[in-house]
Amino acid sequence: MLKINNLHASVEDKVILKGLNLEVKPGEVHAIMGPNGAGKSTLGYVLSGRDGYEVQDGDVSFKGEDLFEMEIEDRASKGLFLAFQYPVEIPGVSNMEFMKESVNATREQRGDEPLSATEFLKKAKEACKQVQLPLEFLKRGVNEGFSGGEKKRNEIMQMILLQPSLCILDESDSGLDVDALQVVANGVNSQRDSARSFIIITHYQRLLDYIKPDFVHILADGKIVKTGDASLAHQIEKEGYAFLGKEYEGVSA
Amino acid sequence: MSQWLTQVIDDAKRVDDFLAPMRQQALSKLQTQGWPHARSEEWRFTPLTSIKERAVESSSVAENAALASNYDLPQIDGLNAIDLVFVDGVLVTDLSDISLPSGLSVQPLSGAPNSAQSKITSLFGHVKPVRHVFGLVNDALCQQGVYIEVDESANIDTPVRIVNLATKDCDAHTRVLVNLGKNSQLKVVEHGSGNVASFTTAFAEYVIGENASLEHYRFALFTGNAKQVGGSHFSLQDSAKLNSTVVSYGSELSRLDVDIIHAGEHANAKMNAIYLLAEGEFFDLHSTIEHTMPNGTTEENARGIIGDRARAVFSGRIHIHRDAQKTLAELNNRNLLLSRRAMINTKPELEIYADDVKCAHGATVAEIEEKALYYLLSRGIKRSKALVMLNFGFIQELVNAIDDESIRTWLLPMLSERFASMEVK
Repeated sequence: MLKINNLHASVEDKVILKGLNLEVKPGEVHAIMGPNGAGKSTLGYVLSGRDGYEVQDGDVSFKGEDLFEMEIEDRASKGLFLAFQYPVEIPGVSNMEFMKESVNATREQRGDEPLSATEFLKKAKEACKQVQLPLEFLKRGVNEGFSGGEKKRNEIMQMILLQPSLCILDESDSGLDVDALQVVANGVNSQRDSARSFIIITHYQRLLDYIKPDFVHILADGKIVKTGDASLAHQIEKEGYAFLGKEYEGVSA
Repeated sequence: MSQWLTQVIDDAKRVDDFLAPMRQQALSKLQTQGWPHARSEEWRFTPLTSIKERAVESSSVAENAALASNYDLPQIDGLNAIDLVFVDGVLVTDLSDISLPSGLSVQPLSGAPNSAQSKITSLFGHVKPVRHVFGLVNDALCQQGVYIEVDESANIDTPVRIVNLATKDCDAHTRVLVNLGKNSQLKVVEHGSGNVASFTTAFAEYVIGENASLEHYRFALFTGNAKQVGGSHFSLQDSAKLNSTVVSYGSELSRLDVDIIHAGEHANAKMNAIYLLAEGEFFDLHSTIEHTMPNGTTEENARGIIGDRARAVFSGRIHIHRDAQKTLAELNNRNLLLSRRAMINTKPELEIYADDVKCAHGATVAEIEEKALYYLLSRGIKRSKALVMLNFGFIQELVNAIDDESIRTWLLPMLSERFASMEVK
């Protein structure tokens, strides 16, 4: 699915990723944890292709293709999905229109016929219910006036509608109460199957109580420094990041 | 003085027809005013050098008659209009050959029958303000034009379209005069296009009679080296109604003046303007609304998208005279710049001498929001589509406000394609 090899990347001339390696196979769920500033969000942005994130070295293959040769929109329509930590508000473009365009762009890429307005509406309503957002959210501007939790659920709704093959969730749990956290986790779990892969970027272990990862990686100073199974997350929760070295002493998860 | 203007004045002296007194007036104004000063407020931002030193090149009527069957008429599907076509400034439509609905008459400007001459004389140069140098040139020189009259209470369903095509490097001067009788209705489309080096002046004057209603469109789709300066000028009598939509691209030099004069009470004017300027293009819109009488309303919206190294000028003035009590007037200009090198000079102006009026004006300038664009792209939406979704809404709103369905249907894809092809830098 995804193979990251020796990735070095910078933002505004500041080097953030310093030789990251990661392989994600179909159906696997990988959690990436790490202290603030380790480069977790940067990884998501670099993979999705955001402007201003410069790749200095290394390569990434996505479904066997060179990811960095693809435009942002091609990565997305080929199945890479990034759920944002802070989704942007776009007044003037309705959530409905936005999601219909994006679903149909993905369908076009796969060689499927575009969905009609009625067909799409049906799917959108189902997805909306699944993430427990009132249906009127479909008519509102994209994320316009949504609370933090509603934005996160809107991201999960898009994921459900787009049916991507690789989902990267960037702190989709931050700022959520337990109920909302469960909605997000249920949304993710409903999409888990033997083909679809997940990278779950999180600061806290608690999301991983609901979404069981196959692997937990610790990202620090731009590199993956430790890999383990779900129990590693529990260890971090209890002991913090002190094992990473002196400068991380007292940094809790 | 400019080389071009000197020669134009010389040429104009040889024009001798029933409009001679008006032409004479225009000539003497041209001679005293001369070429606009570089710092003149009216022309400050308009690049006139290419005209100033231009050699006058007129197209002969005979030469153009040959062209009559050899031009591509821009089509608007479903409009089914009466087309009056000027090619390089020469009327190529045989007016004796077109069938008109009852209540509508069309006369040529040159060779107008005696019966029409006095009507033409009383309209020619009476609505268009005299301040405009190229308007004066058109007054003095223009022999190609049409006079359109709608009888009292006639409701003309068939639109009239006046087409100005620039196909070669010459000067083209055309004039349109429209007189709507009391309680009448008409739809007029002024449609200009061309992309070859050329210079067109096209002025139109409208008198909208008491309680009459005009639906007006001006499409100034000149691009490349096709230079054009023109205007649409309206005089609204008591309870007259004007609904005008201006759509413009930009070219080396493109300038439109729209004047709306509330000459009667309770008149209602609505004017929307859209300009989409691709890389390096120039467009200048000057609009002046004169409220001279009470109880008039004006609503004006000008919205534009300006591409890399392109420049737009918007000067919108609403002048409310002392007697124009109870006027409602709104003027708004919104712009989107697609690059750091795109430019807009905007100046909405209110000049109010009456104390019981309600007026508002404003202008905004925005840039592409990178974050929103990235968000849409990251969901697989193609860049061109994403740009249209994010940034075309405010233009689309004005297109959707157009009454005529066939014009809407023609315009929307044409404008969104043009926008999608413009580069964001």
